[in-house]
Amino acid sequence: MASSSDSTLAAANIDAKNEKNSNITVSGKTSANNTKMTIATIQKAYHDILKDPTSLDEAAHYLYQSLLDDAVVGVFLEIHHLHRTGNLDALDGVPEEGTDASYRIVDMPNYDIFGISSVKKLMDCTCPNCDRPVSASRFAPHLEKCMGMGRNSSRIASRRLATKEGTSASSSSSSSYLQTTVGTDDEDDIDWSSEKRRKKTNQGNRNNGSKKNNGKSF
Amino acid sequence: MTLTKTVDQATILSGDRSKLKDLLCNRLAECGWRDEVRLMCRNIIKEKGNNIKVEQLIADVTPRARASVPDAVKKELLMKIKAILAAQEGIDL
Repeated sequence: MASSSDSTLAAANIDAKNEKNSNITVSGKTSANNTKMTIATIQKAYHDILKDPTSLDEAAHYLYQSLLDDAVVGVFLEIHHLHRTGNLDALDGVPEEGTDASYRIVDMPNYDIFGISSVKKLMDCTCPNCDRPVSASRFAPHLEKCMGMGRNSSRIASRRLATKEGTSASSSSSSSYLQTTVGTDDEDDIDWSSEKRRKKTNQGNRNNGSKKNNGKSF
Repeated sequence: MTLTKTVDQATILSGDRSKLKDLLCNRLAECGWRDEVRLMCRNIIKEKGNNIKVEQLIADVTPRARASVPDAVKKELLMKIKAILAAQEGIDL
């Protein structure tokens, strides 16, 4: 015990010396000498400790504990960093199927692997404009007509304005008017398309004729 | 405190500290202690929610982590430390 207390006293002296040395180094030139001095004093104290078996034991245990602490803190920092950056969740990964029923692969006739029926259903969409159910395949053309977009939109729009004025004037005639407008609409469509065809054929004829003419002239 | 300081400084100076540290880290990784501690940390994070601080984590896990070091590793390391300290006695100055 006496020797250990001696060593602590010596260490205290070293501390005092270290402080003095640090003061000197602040002032300047002889810093190299001072570091040598401090190293020498440290080693002297160290040897004082090592000479005595009890303090040696204590030193060994202390060293072990501090090293172990370092290792533990290393692991903590690693884990904490992973946790903070979200990599810990990534390491855990997504739970495999089997634990969750929704991820199970379905193996049944008329169903795909996700358990959704592979038989096509006829879907009906309700038109947002007129609230009538329309089959999905016909929905886009219907919507086009219903909302008055597309080729003859200007005509339909003008007609709608007219119907509005008509409804404001007389509400009783609106239903009959609607029917008549639908009828004329179809007729218009037919007329228009046939006109276009006629134009096309005319153009073709003209072109052909001009070509023929060209051929003849040259 | 002064004893620990001197030991620290002397071992750092001679380079023994980093050697021993490497040895200890290797041994702990070999015997699966690191994985064990990692698992403890994960469990504690799961228990205490996402906003846990490092200090809290350290305070919670350190005692358990220390206790779970295998005896063989502990003995080996103490032997090594003593051997190195004893060898130092003969060499320097």
